[in-house]
Amino acid sequence: MYELLLSTAIALAVVLAFITVAAMFFVYAERKVAGWIQHRVGPNRTGGFAGWAQSIADSIKLLLKEDLILRGADRRLFQLAPAVVMASAFALFVVLPFGPGLIVADVDLGVFLILAIASVTTIGVIMAGWGSYNKWSVYGAMREAAQVASYEIPLGLSLMPPILYFGTFSLKAATEAQTGSFGMGWYLFSDAFWIAIPSFLLFFVAALAENKRAPFDLPEAESELVAGFHTEYSGIRFSFFFLEEYAAMFVFSAVGAALWLGGWNFPGIHLLEPGSTLLLVLATASFVLKAFFLVFIMMWVRWTVPRLRIDQVMTLGYKYLTPLSMAMALIAAGWEYVKHLGAQA
Amino acid sequence: MTLPKAPTEPKPPRGYFGNITDTVVSTAKGMALTFRYLFRKKVTVQYPEVRPQLDERYRGIHYLEQELCINCDKCAKACPVDCIEMDATRHGKELEWHKFQLDYQKCMFCELCVYPCPKDCIHMGTEYSMVSEDRSDFVKDLLSWTGLTEEQQERIEAAEAAKAAKLAAKKKAAEEAAKKEPAEGEAGAEDPQA
Ligand code: SF4
Ligand code: SF4
Repeated sequence: MYELLLSTAIALAVVLAFITVAAMFFVYAERKVAGWIQHRVGPNRTGGFAGWAQSIADSIKLLLKEDLILRGADRRLFQLAPAVVMASAFALFVVLPFGPGLIVADVDLGVFLILAIASVTTIGVIMAGWGSYNKWSVYGAMREAAQVASYEIPLGLSLMPPILYFGTFSLKAATEAQTGSFGMGWYLFSDAFWIAIPSFLLFFVAALAENKRAPFDLPEAESELVAGFHTEYSGIRFSFFFLEEYAAMFVFSAVGAALWLGGWNFPGIHLLEPGSTLLLVLATASFVLKAFFLVFIMMWVRWTVPRLRIDQVMTLGYKYLTPLSMAMALIAAGWEYVKHLGAQA
Repeated sequence: MTLPKAPTEPKPPRGYFGNITDTVVSTAKGMALTFRYLFRKKVTVQYPEVRPQLDERYRGIHYLEQELCINCDKCAKACPVDCIEMDATRHGKELEWHKFQLDYQKCMFCELCVYPCPKDCIHMGTEYSMVSEDRSDFVKDLLSWTGLTEEQQERIEAAEAAKAAKLAAKKKAAEEAAKKEPAEGEAGAEDPQA
């Protein structure tokens, strides 16, 4: 019992530290990528070399800001919302397979759990919008609810092809299934690559929308809604929403990496002795790098594509992504059936 | 007469799959473009370390060629917002400068003060940065020195000496003339009385 508690506490601390450090890095990377794409240099003063301390300075500033609660606000909802949002982002990390044996909890229904917990974020956002006593916040929260509810369907459906292919909901088992072909048996390069590539694109677009990332960042529309649901938040509560966005970006990128890009597998993994420290380090690095690469693509998209209108977002979700991902799921199922028949014959 | 055609015909509707292709293709094109931009040369000028190259005709803070200026006040009179103030004392041909102030809280860098200068000695410079926490810092004195320089002092002394010498010479001449004069003077003095 005591050992279980201790290991849980250690895992939680590690995950929290990882989220915080990764989010700081992502904020910095985002600003650098934005700068480079626009022919600027991005932050380059703080801390001397290339502005590396910019995120640290930002977080210190955020933590020192006054924590405001409006007089008309629903105090309980207002105070609880960031915690709900943060906790859901936090819980998402539990099922990520960082490396062989490096997973907090290998849940059988890992993918399903991620989808379920990611929706809790929406509840936190609606609480924030409703509790803020501000019409912009409510509008922002409503948009978020509409957007996330409509994109959850294509997101879930676009995860079906890899799940059918590997025959498991567990991210760890799916990763292990991709170890073949000298560590390059990734779903993207498998015999079903013609299903994998479009379903990966669908998943990526749906994940962008689910995370409220540009071009789907309608819940925070500066021109119409100020900052949307977190207009009235300041200081550390605001930073929770911020942290959640980057944590969720990482989690969805990690899911994409685990299901399509081979998870922790890297070319040459079969040469290393299973269970060795070197393997563990390299595998973890490969997983994290793959996820970071997908996060980078998310940033790249943000600084390329202009924002959509809310009706365009809905059109894309309902008229394009949902039927297409449904078709992909059916095709994947058909392909598995064909393979099954072939194996029997 | 035929009317000119509209430059671009509206595109015909593309249909469901056409829309999908268009979206994918145009997004891919845009992403390729921004990816190339990632590695382009940055245009940012690292300001305090690197100063932007300014045009020669840039109208920044003025500079004054004080040795040429004649304290004629024409620039001050030309200034539409009255921001030039000058004061100097004249010692013969030399000027003892006290102030030549420009109030950059008012100045709009219109260059109108430059044109009327008869000596062409006030110019618009290329310095533009004025940062201060105190408004009085924006009232700038363009003088490189105040009071009299040693050279001026010497020239004034030389001029005074020359003047004194001239006066002395004149006096001497007058005295000499006066010595001779009594005879002539007496003779000449009689005329009016006559
Ligand atoms: S630039 Fe214009 S406003 Fe400024 S001192 Fe000269 S005349 Fe006056
Ligand atoms: S117009 Fe020229 S010479 Fe006259 S006071 Fe101004 S700067 Fe000096």
